[in-house]
Amino acid sequence: MELYVTIPQLVYTLLALPPLFSLIAAVNVLGKGLLHWLNRLTAVAAGAIVVKLVMQFDPSNPVSFGYLYLDALALWMLIIVTMLYLAFAFTSKAYLDRDTNIRYGYLRRFSHLEGRFYALSHLFVWTMMIVVLVNNLGLMWVAIEATTLVSALLVAFKFTRTSLEAAWKYVMVCTVGICLALLGTILVYYAQILAMGGAQALDWQYLAAHGGELNPALAKVAFCFLFVGYGTKVGLAPMHAWLPDAHSEAPALTSGLLSGALCICAIYVLLRNVIVIMPAVGMGFISSLFLFFGLLTIALAIPFVVIQRDIKRMLAYSSMENFGLMAAGFGLFMPLAVEASLLHMMNHALVKYALFYTAGTIMEAYGTKNMMRMHGMLQQAPRTSLFWLLGIVGILGMPPMGIFFSKFYIIDSFFMADRPWLGMLALVLLAGMLIGILYHALRMMGGKPKRKSAGELMGRLDTAVLLVLLLASGVISGTLLELPYLGDLLVTAGQIVLGGMS
Amino acid sequence: MEYLVVLLLFVVFLQTRIMELKRSILCLAAQSGIIAGACFAIGLGAGSGLHAWLPGLLTIFVKVLFIPGAILRLAGKITDEREIVSDINVNYSTMAAAAFLVFGYLLVDHLLPGTPGRSIIAASILMIMTGLALMVMRKRAILQMIGLITLENGIYLLGLLITEGLPLVVELGVFLDVLIAVVVLVILTNRMSLSFMTTDTTVMKKLKG
Repeated sequence: MELYVTIPQLVYTLLALPPLFSLIAAVNVLGKGLLHWLNRLTAVAAGAIVVKLVMQFDPSNPVSFGYLYLDALALWMLIIVTMLYLAFAFTSKAYLDRDTNIRYGYLRRFSHLEGRFYALSHLFVWTMMIVVLVNNLGLMWVAIEATTLVSALLVAFKFTRTSLEAAWKYVMVCTVGICLALLGTILVYYAQILAMGGAQALDWQYLAAHGGELNPALAKVAFCFLFVGYGTKVGLAPMHAWLPDAHSEAPALTSGLLSGALCICAIYVLLRNVIVIMPAVGMGFISSLFLFFGLLTIALAIPFVVIQRDIKRMLAYSSMENFGLMAAGFGLFMPLAVEASLLHMMNHALVKYALFYTAGTIMEAYGTKNMMRMHGMLQQAPRTSLFWLLGIVGILGMPPMGIFFSKFYIIDSFFMADRPWLGMLALVLLAGMLIGILYHALRMMGGKPKRKSAGELMGRLDTAVLLVLLLASGVISGTLLELPYLGDLLVTAGQIVLGGMS
Repeated sequence: MEYLVVLLLFVVFLQTRIMELKRSILCLAAQSGIIAGACFAIGLGAGSGLHAWLPGLLTIFVKVLFIPGAILRLAGKITDEREIVSDINVNYSTMAAAAFLVFGYLLVDHLLPGTPGRSIIAASILMIMTGLALMVMRKRAILQMIGLITLENGIYLLGLLITEGLPLVVELGVFLDVLIAVVVLVILTNRMSLSFMTTDTTVMKKLKG
């Protein structure tokens, strides 16, 4: 018997699940065991709904209902967010238990806070789902600002001095940035009113179809504000000050979600705006801004990686490098580069989540964030260090792992787009990044252990999750065009991103 | 409208002069009240129905009553005299605000020559820039929050002037976001005064590099 559910029904159910669980978790009536199970159940249900959506949705046939809108690009982002949601749900118990068991663990003293952590995390994922599903540029802005506010409470979850500092900086810098994006959105609306009246205000579909009628000068000013605003949220230099702080001070699971899903949601919103504005402004201006700031971000991240002592800050700067590369890739505005950048979003999300989780585990076992105090991991915890190494190799883009493909295609498209010098520059910068990160990671592996062995740091379930994350990234990017559905989806999503050019 | 502009300029310049917490919060409330007035003037002038009076009403509830109220409660807990009045030179921020006003008029004349709302658009640009300047130049957490709200008010006013208000759903979302932002910032400031024993943000300088 085939159960038939329409796409709107599926989406509404998907959006109802996380807040429902948040409510239950926030009231704190359930026992801990039940809470963990319900958390997994919610995520699995959401995953099942997304699988069902993927099976029913035809990439070339966008669906619009109410204030929501689903097309290939949105579905691609939704898949990434949901994958991380599942990974979160299946690693959270191990992470929280570890925090409860170590002697100075925060949750050991405040065990009632687990419910709050779950409630906030699920709400955070929910706001990101809203970001990718709404059809209105104004509502996208609202949702992005909501992600900042929810995740700020997660960043400051343990209320230590450093995490307070990180959260304060995060809220202040991002809110100012996002306010500028609001100004940009208002200007887009003004341009829309001048060109075609106030009907269908800020509706993305309508604007994307009529982008050419916007006033070019006004659209250009609007783009500048939008780029600075959402660029702040992405973490592009020079507005990146909040990123390493927030990523390094948040609980490891939150860092994984911040780096893997949140920043690319901001890129997504920026792209939606670019699709609208592109016909009026023209490609040259937008492209050069993307390329310049993308490469600048990579260049600025390198020295900080090389001198880094803090393990999660190192990963945060590596995220900056990847966002920079994505921005540069989108900035080329050619099919191969855009598809590769979209793929890179997924690969980076999966691998970086695994890395942040491993880093969090290592940090808690060693009781320090300082990489200079970690030695001989290979001897003491071979399995953990294997995953750490695989993740590092993966994030740097070395051949067996998934990111190799996406990075390779992005670099390749630099040369195909007749910008060989920029391509070479990007290669040199990536090599600098590789040297910096590999040095620190390998130094942690080797050497003589200076502390008593704590045995393996990770349990069975989280090891399995990490394995699935790394494998999924590798298999999907290696065989993407042979995969029956995802290949189509990615190509269609790429066409949507390039929609403003024709 | 002209009276509103004059009042607004007066309040914003006053904001750059005040260093005492409670007075600057009241100043913020007054500023939001003027924005609410502008909301009603523009909304009722442009049409009728829900969209005409709801934003103004929301401005009064959220920005005039709730936000200053929440910040006032927070400020009420601070008893240290050195916390309440900070001793920095305020002349720079006033001079900066004056420069921003000139800049605002130049910008309006350059970008939108001959618009009827010339003065009030310049005033909203002044608010945006002054809000930014206050966030950078003030070190007290509460004063930085006030700078942020001023910035947001300025952008909101500008949007109101050039587009007669965003679509209603978006506007409701913006109000919700501002509300939550203030709640989050109040929580953070509260925690800050617990663990640092001060609300001076300059003590937070551990995270570098």
